[in-house]
Amino acid sequence: MFTINPFAEISATVSPTVMQWYIIVMALFVAGGTLFDMIHKKSARFFFQDWGKKRAKATKPLGGGEVASLAIKTAVVDVLASGEFCKVPRRIAHLLTFYGFIAYLIATIMMVFSYPTPDMATPAYLPQLWYLGAAMVMVGGYWFWFFIRVDVLYEGNSPFRLIRADLFVVSLLLSVTFGFLWGLTQASGAAGLATFFLALYVLASTVLFAGVPWSKFSHMFYKPAAAFEKNVEEADGSTNMPPPADSSNLGAH
Amino acid sequence: MGLFNSRKTITVESDVLVIGGGFGGCGATYEAGHWGRDMKVVVVEKANIERSGAVAQGLYAINCYMGMQWGENQPEDHVRYARNDLMGLVREDLGYDIARHVDSTVHKFDEWGLPMMKDPETGRYQREGKWQIMIHGESYKPIIAEAARKSADEVYNRIMVTHLLTDKKNPNRVAGAVGFSVRNGNFYVFKAKAVVIAAGGASHIFRPRSVGEGMGRTWYAPWSSASAYGLPLPIGAKMTQMENRIVLARFKDGYGPVGAYFLHLKTYTKNAYGEQYEAKWYDEIKEMVGDYADKEPMPTCLRNHSMIQEIAAGRGPIYMETREAFQDPHKEQVGWENFLGMTIGQAVLWAAQNIDPKERMSELTTSEPYVMGSHATCSGAWTSGPDDYAPADYRWGYNRMMTVEGLFAAGDACGGTAHKFSSGSFTEGRIAGKAAIKYIKDLGEAPQFDNAEIEKLKTEVYQPMENYDVGRNEIVAGTVSPSYISPLQGLQRLEKIMDEYCGGTSTSYMTNEPMLERGLELLGMLKEDADHLGADSLHQLQRAWELNHRIWASESVTHHTRFRTETRWPGYYYRGDHPKLDDEDWHCFTLGRYNPDSKDWEMEKAPVHHIID
Amino acid sequence: MPTFVYMTRCDGCGECVDICPSDIMHIDPTYRRAYNIEPNFCWECYSCVKACPQHAIDVRGYADFAPLGHSVRVRREEEKGTISWRIKFRDGREKNFVSPIRTTPWGSIEDPKDFPGPTLEQFDSQELWQEPGALHIDALPTLAGKVKV
Repeated sequence: MFTINPFAEISATVSPTVMQWYIIVMALFVAGGTLFDMIHKKSARFFFQDWGKKRAKATKPLGGGEVASLAIKTAVVDVLASGEFCKVPRRIAHLLTFYGFIAYLIATIMMVFSYPTPDMATPAYLPQLWYLGAAMVMVGGYWFWFFIRVDVLYEGNSPFRLIRADLFVVSLLLSVTFGFLWGLTQASGAAGLATFFLALYVLASTVLFAGVPWSKFSHMFYKPAAAFEKNVEEADGSTNMPPPADSSNLGAH
Repeated sequence: MGLFNSRKTITVESDVLVIGGGFGGCGATYEAGHWGRDMKVVVVEKANIERSGAVAQGLYAINCYMGMQWGENQPEDHVRYARNDLMGLVREDLGYDIARHVDSTVHKFDEWGLPMMKDPETGRYQREGKWQIMIHGESYKPIIAEAARKSADEVYNRIMVTHLLTDKKNPNRVAGAVGFSVRNGNFYVFKAKAVVIAAGGASHIFRPRSVGEGMGRTWYAPWSSASAYGLPLPIGAKMTQMENRIVLARFKDGYGPVGAYFLHLKTYTKNAYGEQYEAKWYDEIKEMVGDYADKEPMPTCLRNHSMIQEIAAGRGPIYMETREAFQDPHKEQVGWENFLGMTIGQAVLWAAQNIDPKERMSELTTSEPYVMGSHATCSGAWTSGPDDYAPADYRWGYNRMMTVEGLFAAGDACGGTAHKFSSGSFTEGRIAGKAAIKYIKDLGEAPQFDNAEIEKLKTEVYQPMENYDVGRNEIVAGTVSPSYISPLQGLQRLEKIMDEYCGGTSTSYMTNEPMLERGLELLGMLKEDADHLGADSLHQLQRAWELNHRIWASESVTHHTRFRTETRWPGYYYRGDHPKLDDEDWHCFTLGRYNPDSKDWEMEKAPVHHIID
Repeated sequence: MPTFVYMTRCDGCGECVDICPSDIMHIDPTYRRAYNIEPNFCWECYSCVKACPQHAIDVRGYADFAPLGHSVRVRREEEKGTISWRIKFRDGREKNFVSPIRTTPWGSIEDPKDFPGPTLEQFDSQELWQEPGALHIDALPTLAGKVKV
């Protein structure tokens, strides 16, 4: 079941060209949506103005090498290891959804572009990676949805209350869930049910990618930039924060 | 709230219920946990006890410490001091009781880890003044909250208590309380054999001087919503000295503290022309209050009077001369840290207005009035005194028990006990906590519950949300509805009424009988409109009940102010129709009670017994 | 001086929501990050500012009376037992302060159950727990016998 490429299975009715174009259009939606969002909100303008003001206040201006190493540190710690999350359950849930989504996307692209029809033998690991990725997103995502979301855990709202900030995670969870269900029903031969889940899968995925201007999707691009700026600010002294205390130097009282 | 939330009723059984997790409540919880080991001690707090109450941002002085171990002061001395400052009218029995215990509280704070400043020569706690010692108190509240948590059986955070419950068989006996979760809206029924009220006194009953965002910068915490008075009043508890509102001379706008400035840094006040003005008002003060003008130190209210008059004479702004003191780096550090550990907003204001006290003086002002029981003021519940020496007519039951059986008061909730501050409030909590345990041990039958009453209260508690949900259908959008008002709208009306009729800043603290009458009339209509509050969220529901408690307190304050036909505390407020102090008729306490059956307010006098010479 | 939250720093962890004594730090429905819903009930107690693990919360003085361009920021380090302040004036001058906040480890306060329970004599007396020892004098003062009861 988990070794069957579901995209190849439906390539007779939905041509590989259509599937490939769908993926390309979704990618354009993400890029375009993010760009539109930045221009419309003037957030890029704010970022660069703020960057300039802060660097002008630097007490220890950084050299190119230092900046580069901070960029690498940001990429490794804050992005790849989800280091910005200060609470362990949130961090773990994010790691699961982050890497799960990447694995699932890579597997989707490879299956649709390189093995789109049944006659091209899809290596077993690709569908397995696809299902594994989807499962990781579901575990991390549903855990987040019901137990970790701050507006539920700290504000006492019902887990079923929907706010605009939920658009991204709801469409993501629905997309991978319906995709997962479609793949399984497709492989087990339940054709009617498979078509039903396929339709919902396409709908949820389209909302996920086309909804970028209204959802928190684009924050996955903003946050690394913000984390990088924070690291630079702390290193070059342009921060307003007091430094960590040297408790041996508390001042005479 | 909405479609997917179902509201549960959660019943909590307890022996001692402490309402309010501030200094008074933490003291009561801490002490009750020891004496009532076989009993269940529950504390309930509308916020989070880690930082709740008036000490959220910290304190940089403990203003009530005797230092008996070093022979610095005796409890009798403190009673004389508080009595002087309150123009003769304090419960000397209760005050002595706090003063004799407070040193043990302070020593425990030290042991628990509160950094105490030490005098480099003597090694003793560094004195700021006769009663005050200096601390690094940024974490004062988290430290004592830890003590309370260790001692409590259960701590309920984010539960707003709205009403007390009474015994079905005896309406003059408390049985518990009801409230709701500010987070998920669940209804809570607390059953208890004894209840300690240690909730907040009253900020925001008089219009503050800053009315925009600046409304938040009141001297006393904005979350002190008068639950100390709004809970016991409706069930008929007697309150005392509710007219004794306090006005504070503080740094303008930021309300930064001046205690360390006057006492430790030795700064002093000047008018706009650089003159020290206080002495020129002595004769006028002597005319008004007689020999009280000669008390040393000069009573707080009289010092206010000088500042108010100087400003009215057109010689303001009044400044604190800081330049000399701040040249000394140690004093400069103390001056700034005093704000950072107690009233951070004043530091923010100095930074915003480019005021470096080394180079510039900073303005002072007199604040809007507040009603509470732990400072240079003593409004609150009328309670029974200590068994070993309280005069007979001050003793009808257990120590700190109100006129309602089983109901105890501590901190800002307890009247007649001025100048107790943080350490004294915690101490009073301890006193009430032990007394509550004694009361329970002597108790015959536990109180009985009226389920019909509880059901009725359940509807009442959520009524503001019902009002909003239904009434909202009438209008398109916005804040203006003909059928409900928001809690903020109600609060602003309340503050305007009290300000304009009951002696707020807009009349320079002046009032009289016709003004008070009119104020009561307007308060009456506001009280009726309080049935039509509209809350669009649980947060607004909390605000609605805070307003409700503030309205109760305001009615009490206005009745007491009308009853006392003299001006006892010029500088706090003035009776234009009775402008002088009148020891012949008014050397007494005012007692006020709302009668829940007749719905009338009953006022009477109680004697002031000077048990200390 | 009400609080505000930096968009780029807040990761929506909820500590500020949990600690605010005024119940005014809540979660924005568009970004799922914190913001101050009622600045006119903000006392600027800095509880949320100190509690935020990302230092994402800052204060801008009340618009009623505080000109722009100032900054008062804090770093509270519980494990070290310190609090550090950096104050920047509108005109650029700066002041820094560091103070102790506690002299004992967090969590070290006693539980009553670690101590012997009260005796009947103690119960009936006027003494509070650990008195007269904790008073650092021999006996609790009283006015018994000195007042006409």
